[in-house]
Amino acid sequence: MAHPRSLIAPLSRLTTLSIASSRSEIPRFASLPYQSIRCATTKAQPKKKKKPRNTFLQYDLKKAEQFSLIDAMHYIRAFEVGRNPSSSKYEMHVRLRTLKNGPVVRNRLRLPHPVKTDIRICVIAAPDSKAAAEARSAGATLVGEDEIFAQIKEGIVEFDRCICHIESLQKLNKAGLGRVLGPKGLMPSTKTGTVVTSVGSSVRNMVGGSEYRERLGVIRMAVGQLGFTPEEMQRNVKAFMDALRKDIAQMSDRISKEVHEVVLSSTNSPGFTLNGEFKGANSIAPKELSGPL
Amino acid sequence: MVHILKRMRKLHELLWIRCGPGALILPKEVSKISMEFSAKLYGGHRGARKFWREMLPRIKYRNPSIPIEITRHNDPDGPSLLHIYTATKTQPTQSSTDSPTAQQPATPPPSGTPNARNTLTPDTSKPTHTIDIRDQQESEILDALVARTGAEQIQPTELELQELKEIEEFKERSEKDRVEVREKLLKERREAEMLKLARGELPTAN
Repeated sequence: MAHPRSLIAPLSRLTTLSIASSRSEIPRFASLPYQSIRCATTKAQPKKKKKPRNTFLQYDLKKAEQFSLIDAMHYIRAFEVGRNPSSSKYEMHVRLRTLKNGPVVRNRLRLPHPVKTDIRICVIAAPDSKAAAEARSAGATLVGEDEIFAQIKEGIVEFDRCICHIESLQKLNKAGLGRVLGPKGLMPSTKTGTVVTSVGSSVRNMVGGSEYRERLGVIRMAVGQLGFTPEEMQRNVKAFMDALRKDIAQMSDRISKEVHEVVLSSTNSPGFTLNGEFKGANSIAPKELSGPL
Repeated sequence: MVHILKRMRKLHELLWIRCGPGALILPKEVSKISMEFSAKLYGGHRGARKFWREMLPRIKYRNPSIPIEITRHNDPDGPSLLHIYTATKTQPTQSSTDSPTAQQPATPPPSGTPNARNTLTPDTSKPTHTIDIRDQQESEILDALVARTGAEQIQPTELELQELKEIEEFKERSEKDRVEVREKLLKERREAEMLKLARGELPTAN
C-alpha cells in the first residue's frame, strides 16, 4: 500500500503550489484517502515557535453584570453592616488594556474628599523660619529641628511622614537619625522626594493625598470612607478617573492604554463592576444612603 | 484583581441578600438598631454573631436608611443584647420584661474594645425594646425582632425562587464534582508516590 501514497504525495504538493488559484481542481483530490494528504502537509510545515504573550488576558464584559454607583453602594453598605465606618473603606480597581512590559501609570492625587485625614506629618525646618510657619498652617503636627532630633533619639516617633526643608538637611544628616528613621522608611532624602524647598505645598499634598500605581494591569486605590454619601463618592470617583485619564494621555506617545473595567468594592464586600452611571432605573434615592451606617 | 468568573459568581449569588430570612421592611418608627455581644462565641454569643453575619445584611439592604450598630466586648459573661430604638416615643417604658437582663441599665458597660464609633454619634436615648439574645439561634432572634417591631416580611417572587433553586442545584452539582476531582487527584498522587518508592527513593524526600 505504500506506493500509491509515494506517488500521490509529491503530486499533491505540486498541485497545491501551482493551482492554488483554480478551485475546480480541488474536488479531484478530495476523493483521496485523508491520511495521505495530511502526511504531505505536515512535512511541508516546520513547527512554529510559540511567541510569548506580552499582554494581559482580557475578558469580555458584555455578559458581566454591571451596576450603577448607587446600586453598588446600596449592596456594599449592606455587606458592611455593623462594621466600624472609620476602618472600612471603599476601594476602586481599574483594569487597563495594556502591555505587560510597558511603562506603568504611577502618580499621586488629592481627592475632593480625602480618605485619610489623620496622617501626622513632621516637618524638619528651623522653628522660627518662614518655612516652619507655612508648614504649621498647612497642617503639620510637628515642626522644629533640635527638639525633634532629641525626641527621635529617645525613641519617640509620633508621626507617619517626615519632610525636611532643604536648608535643614545638613543638620539632619549630622544628627545621625538614619538608624532610627531609616528602618521605618521615614528618613527624608532627595531620592524619595521628601526633601523640599516649598514645605507648605508638599505638606498640603500629603495631608489629603493618596498614591496610586498600576500593578499587573490593575490600579487600586482607596476612594472613600464608608460614611460618604453617594454625591461625595461620585466626586471622588470622578476626580480619580480624570486624573487617571490625564496620566494615560501623558504617556500616549509611548504606549496606548485604555480603561477596560472599573470595579468598586470595600473591605468586606465583593467587587461591583460599575457601568459609569450614577443612578440606575430602579435604584433607591441617594438620600437613603447618606445617613450613618 | 479577582478573576472575573469568581466575581461574577459572587454577584450572581447576590440574591441571598435580597431574599431569605431577614428580608423585611421595618416600620417607620424604628430609628436605629444596635447590638451588643462578645467578640468570641463562648458563653452563648454564637447566635448573635450569626445573626449579624447572615440576617443583618438583609435587613440593612431592605432598610438602607436605618443605622445599625454593633459593639463587641471581650467578656464572655458580658451582655448579649439587641436594642431597638424608635423615633416616636409612644411606649417609652415598654421594655421587655420576660428577659432578666433587660432590666439592666441601658447604657452599655465599658467595653474592652476601643470603639471610635461610639464617640461619633453619642446616643443617650433609651432603647424602646431590649431583647436578650444569649444562647439563642439566629432565627429565634429574628422572630423576636419581628414580634417586637411588627416588621413586614418580603416574600421572594416567582422568578427569584426559580433562580434560588438554580443556584442550589448548581451548588449541589459542584459539590459532587469537587469530590470526584479530589478522588482523581488523590489517586494520581498515590500512584506517583508508589512509583517513587519503587524507584527506591525515600518517601520523605519531598
